[in-house]
Amino acid sequence: MTSVKLKSVKKSFGAVDIIKGIDLTIEDGEFCVFVGPSGCGKSTLLRIISGLEEATEGTIEIDGRDVTGEEPSKRGIAMVFQSYALYPHLTVRENVGFGLSLAKLPKDVIRQKVDAAAEALQLTHLLDRKPKALSGGQRQRVAIGRAMVRDPKVFLLDEPLSNLDAALRAQMRIELTDLHRKLGATMIYVTHDQVEAMTMADKIVVLNSGRIEQVGSPMDLYNNPVSPFVAGFIGSPKMNLYDGPVAAAQGCKTYGIRPEHVVLSATNGTWKGSVRHVEHLGADTVVYLVVPEMGEIVVRVSGDFKAAHGDILWASPVAGREFRFN
Amino acid sequence: MTSRQRNTGIIAFLAAFIIFILPFVFTFFMAVKSRQEAALFLFTWPSEWHFWSNLVEVVQARNYMLLLAYFNSTIITVGAVALLVIFGAMVGYVLQRRPSGWNKLIYAGVLMGLMVPPAVVPTIWVLQGLGLFKTIHGMILIQVAYGLAFSVLLYRSFIATIPRDLDEAAIIDGAKPWAIFFKVILPLLKPVTVTLILVQSIAIFNDFTNPLYYLPGRENVTVQLTLFNFQSQFQSQFNLLFMNILLVTIPPLIVFVIFNRQIVAGMTAGAVKG
Repeated sequence: MTSVKLKSVKKSFGAVDIIKGIDLTIEDGEFCVFVGPSGCGKSTLLRIISGLEEATEGTIEIDGRDVTGEEPSKRGIAMVFQSYALYPHLTVRENVGFGLSLAKLPKDVIRQKVDAAAEALQLTHLLDRKPKALSGGQRQRVAIGRAMVRDPKVFLLDEPLSNLDAALRAQMRIELTDLHRKLGATMIYVTHDQVEAMTMADKIVVLNSGRIEQVGSPMDLYNNPVSPFVAGFIGSPKMNLYDGPVAAAQGCKTYGIRPEHVVLSATNGTWKGSVRHVEHLGADTVVYLVVPEMGEIVVRVSGDFKAAHGDILWASPVAGREFRFN
Repeated sequence: MTSRQRNTGIIAFLAAFIIFILPFVFTFFMAVKSRQEAALFLFTWPSEWHFWSNLVEVVQARNYMLLLAYFNSTIITVGAVALLVIFGAMVGYVLQRRPSGWNKLIYAGVLMGLMVPPAVVPTIWVLQGLGLFKTIHGMILIQVAYGLAFSVLLYRSFIATIPRDLDEAAIIDGAKPWAIFFKVILPLLKPVTVTLILVQSIAIFNDFTNPLYYLPGRENVTVQLTLFNFQSQFQSQFNLLFMNILLVTIPPLIVFVIFNRQIVAGMTAGAVKG
């Protein structure tokens, strides 16, 4: 059982508290995603788990063993960096086998392991190339290969897809999920992209300024966000959130409704507004409506919705899909 | 090409020719002349060619002193440059990567080493105290001391361009600091190492004053000092002096030709997304 347990982990840089006390258990074989805006401490938390950064307080357990003071290489982890961090002077084969040759494994064992990893990642024909002769996606795969050959108990991935273009990112998302299924290893994945979090995770950990905001499965967070922060972070386009008189009229501090849970009508509804902007995405249409008493409301309508700038429309929330936060 | 570009090109070529090529041609002509003709000190085509006889005479002069000088200079140059590369890269790496309160102080010391001119007499006093005066290894250490500040600064700024992720990836892979430096960082420093070897080996091989002060003694002679000896001994034999100059100029020229091709930029290309 390779679970990862964090017990009241804190981290400060000088007087600045980056991580303000985190308790978290990641189960064996789970794909856990840390998500949050920049500067929320998600990368720092990953680096604390890897051992590259020391926790100011608290303990880290991997596989039931306290590894708080252990060196990174003794923790049974492998890490994939955002920048790939491939050694430029070594070939793909040497890059992937670097850790094994440091561990002084026999040459034929290294060759065997590297070949196996290369085959799993379709890198076999690239083994003798240097990183500069590879494309972004191939470099990414080499970085994953380098992590794989170490047979780690836990994979740590620090925004591994953020340097790839949109099409490749979508493809790599599927490949990573496949890989997770095949290896069955525990994976901890850091991203600021909520789409990656929603599509890949078994468990999402939403972080906000050094604290855990909510932990749960993707649909759990979508359906039952505990705070306006989580509600606004999960889902695209983001949830419409209103404070002040609009919320007060609904009897709460913050009132929220997702764009896909608003219906538009030309004749009647709850809020009357004029169209500011329309985005036609093909499969659905996103309408930005300006309602005088509440400001802007974003509405997502399925299919091609005919509307133009200045049109007057009525918007109504779907019953039971509204969120009221206190 | 516009006429302006062409004119600038021609002027630049002429200037380079006058500054770099003409003196070399002059040296060569003087070196192959006879003693009487060289004494005239004219920039003329030699009337008789004495290349081989002059060469043999220079090499054999004062009991093959030139060969001993080549040997000594080569040892000093290779020893000093090797230490400069290793220590420069190590100090530069630690200064750049490991932040500590001492860094500012060390950095100030390095800058001081670059700016403050060395004093000869106290240095000799220190060398005598350490038993290193008039020794080849003492001379090597002097050259290392004089060149280390420059090489530390050069390495430090270059190491700053190597992403720290590489160090961390190596740590995760289980590398100890020693292995990180020798297996990951040092190979990536090749362009700056080549530059340093080129600059320092030419400077150390051609050094005249430091061996003159710190390395007296017949058996300690270095190549540039052979010129000094010749000049006093063969005051009117300019043909031999210039032949000696020619011979002394060749090794640095070879070093330059070999290494100049290898100064390649972009060694870190491919390390991170670029």
